Amino acid sequence: MCVGLSAKVVKVSNGTAIVDASGARRTVSADLIRDLVPGDYVMVHAGCAIAKITDDDDKESDDVMESMFL
Amino acid sequence: MSDMVTLAHGAGGRQTSELIDRVFKANFENPLLTADDAAVLDAPAGKLAMTTDGFIVSPAFFPGGNIGKLSICGTVNDLACMGAKPLYLSCAFVIEEGYPMDKLEEIAEAMAATAKKAGVRIVSGDTKVAGKGQADGVFITTTGVGAILPGVSTSGAFARPGDAVIVTGDVGRHGCTVLLARDEFGIEADVTSDCAPLWDSVQALLNETTDVHVIRDATRGGVGTVLYEIAGQSKVGVRLDAASVPVAPGVRGVCGMLGLEPLYLACEGRLVVVAPKDKADAIVAALRTVEESAGAAIIGEITADHPGRVVMTTEIGAETILPQPGGELLPRIC
Amino acid sequence: MSEEAKRKAIDIISHYDGRPLRIMEVCGTHTHEIFRLGIRRILSPKIKLISGPGCPVCVTPVGFIDEAIFLALEKHATITTFGDLVRVPGTKKSLAAARAEGARVQIVYSPLDALEYAKEHPEEEVVFLSVGFETTVPVCCLAVKKAAGEGITNFSLLVANKTMPMAYAALKGSADIFLYPGHVNAITGTSVCEDLVKEGVSGVVAGFTAKELVTALAVAVTNAEKGEPFFVNAYPRVVKPEGSPEGMAIMEEMMEPCDTEWRGLGVIPMSGLKLRDEYAAFDARRKFNVSGIEGHANPGCRCGQILKGELTPPECPLFKKVCNPLHPVGACMVSGEGACSAWYQYGES
Repeated sequence: MCVGLSAKVVKVSNGTAIVDASGARRTVSADLIRDLVPGDYVMVHAGCAIAKITDDDDKESDDVMESMFL
Repeated sequence: MSDMVTLAHGAGGRQTSELIDRVFKANFENPLLTADDAAVLDAPAGKLAMTTDGFIVSPAFFPGGNIGKLSICGTVNDLACMGAKPLYLSCAFVIEEGYPMDKLEEIAEAMAATAKKAGVRIVSGDTKVAGKGQADGVFITTTGVGAILPGVSTSGAFARPGDAVIVTGDVGRHGCTVLLARDEFGIEADVTSDCAPLWDSVQALLNETTDVHVIRDATRGGVGTVLYEIAGQSKVGVRLDAASVPVAPGVRGVCGMLGLEPLYLACEGRLVVVAPKDKADAIVAALRTVEESAGAAIIGEITADHPGRVVMTTEIGAETILPQPGGELLPRIC
Repeated sequence: MSEEAKRKAIDIISHYDGRPLRIMEVCGTHTHEIFRLGIRRILSPKIKLISGPGCPVCVTPVGFIDEAIFLALEKHATITTFGDLVRVPGTKKSLAAARAEGARVQIVYSPLDALEYAKEHPEEEVVFLSVGFETTVPVCCLAVKKAAGEGITNFSLLVANKTMPMAYAALKGSADIFLYPGHVNAITGTSVCEDLVKEGVSGVVAGFTAKELVTALAVAVTNAEKGEPFFVNAYPRVVKPEGSPEGMAIMEEMMEPCDTEWRGLGVIPMSGLKLRDEYAAFDARRKFNVSGIEGHANPGCRCGQILKGELTPPECPLFKKVCNPLHPVGACMVSGEGACSAWYQYGES
């Protein structure tokens, strides 16, 4: 229902952020996330950063798998 | 001369000759381009290939090229795909009234430079001016004639199970560049069109071996569409290795944002080559010696199973069908 | 480590041999990715994946398209929309057909871009087709909020946004386990899922990469074998238990729940959203007096039963015969996320 894209924040200015996803850059709304700083990673949907994420890698899945079989 | 094209430039009188002299003749100058009604040409021995193509692109100027460069590349590449060395081109312009003269000159310069690089001569041309709003900027139609190299016989119907599928560089750059140049989605990326004449690449490949089954240039519809055409014409299946399809990072990023598949974005300087597997490595090595095909890679193989279809091995090791393209490319967001 | 975890997950879901499980991927993007990656092809025959109603395009009723076409052709509004909606058939035609008749239809990446378009074209009335679930609602609200703040008067929303909690209740019996839509949970948090566990409904929040999807499925399968209802957030890099308080706040501030029709599922009480009265000036229905438009779907179309997982697309009498991606009859064939489109394109049988 909701295509999301993880991207890195390169610039933040009053309520908007420029994000970079493997070289594609776009200005998105940063209204939903407080205290965004360059270098943060966010999940972007329809021109809006909807969540701050750890990075753009999915390695946390490993922890999910690991914790299940402890 | 005026700084924009007017209806008088298309009326056939003095202003028409002025336009032709200053813009076209000045750039296309060669002994075969005369003021007569038709070009008189030496016919080479052996078989000829001939093709025609109309060019409309919005915007007409984009990173890596313009409609002029495109109009030469498109036609010489179609010839090259048949193993034909491009010899002669004709070009017909439809220009919208009010089009800036300097832009038209820039287009003609790009055509001349590209034709020179492709080793082809522009031998005849035509200019029409359409009223404001009856055309969008400049439309160009080019027709090309080439001499097929002896011993070469390629066709989309010649792919055989066991053949390797090669692409001459990263996919989808032209389509992505034009999409960004339209600036409809507020996205920026360092992506330039792959638009290039490919005869040098084809010649390098044919010098290596003439045992090549299919050469096709991936234009509209991209590499994915070409693979479906080959699968259909040859009644074979195509198995792609998704991970080995070269995609430039910027193109991948843009496709990620808009939910598009790079395999379906247009290329204007990429060939799909199908050849026996034991020749594939040598072909790739030969292609890589030429600038325009330095990124050549083997991306899959021709199979006897699932004729007419293109399947992909995905990152979880499963096999899926590459969906057939259809309709206009719409960014998928929700 | 990373590859090893992925391989282990793939191993679990391809060799599962317990009781038959029905897992519903609620989210259309999951449906799309599951087909694209070929996950169904490696899945144990004991696991049945059901494509749920989480494609906003698919569940948007025919009447909504009719309303948009009415606004475009009768009220001469400029329609701005996500790309997928353009080809969805209304009662008589799609927006693509209306565009060929002269309607102004502009595809946008974001509702905020629709607002920008409105600002650049003050002479046009610009309507954004506001579809989507909790993930998309906040950004639609942001567009209205900015318009209100900047005094933009030529911008409004035709709202058909939906929320998931009531839909889960309606779908409860359709599957053993829900694969929850990660990006919805990124906004709403996971309390809805925790509550459903108490009612005996199991689920796993899933991400969207290959590894995240196979991991979520492996988690679902492994927990199902234990026999107790469970809930696991298998997408912790994006989904926090509390979700996005800012996102929930703006949604609450500007929208209120209402009954709404889901294509195929009928009216689900309080599962829709509409703009609160304070924002009536930005509600296209109120602004242009749109009322009484009732859509009529092709009677042969089985989108509804397919969305509930009762039928698979090939069981619909129209599938592949008259309905295909180039000439879609139902919305499920239009959207890249639609179950019918996915089955058609990927040739599942």
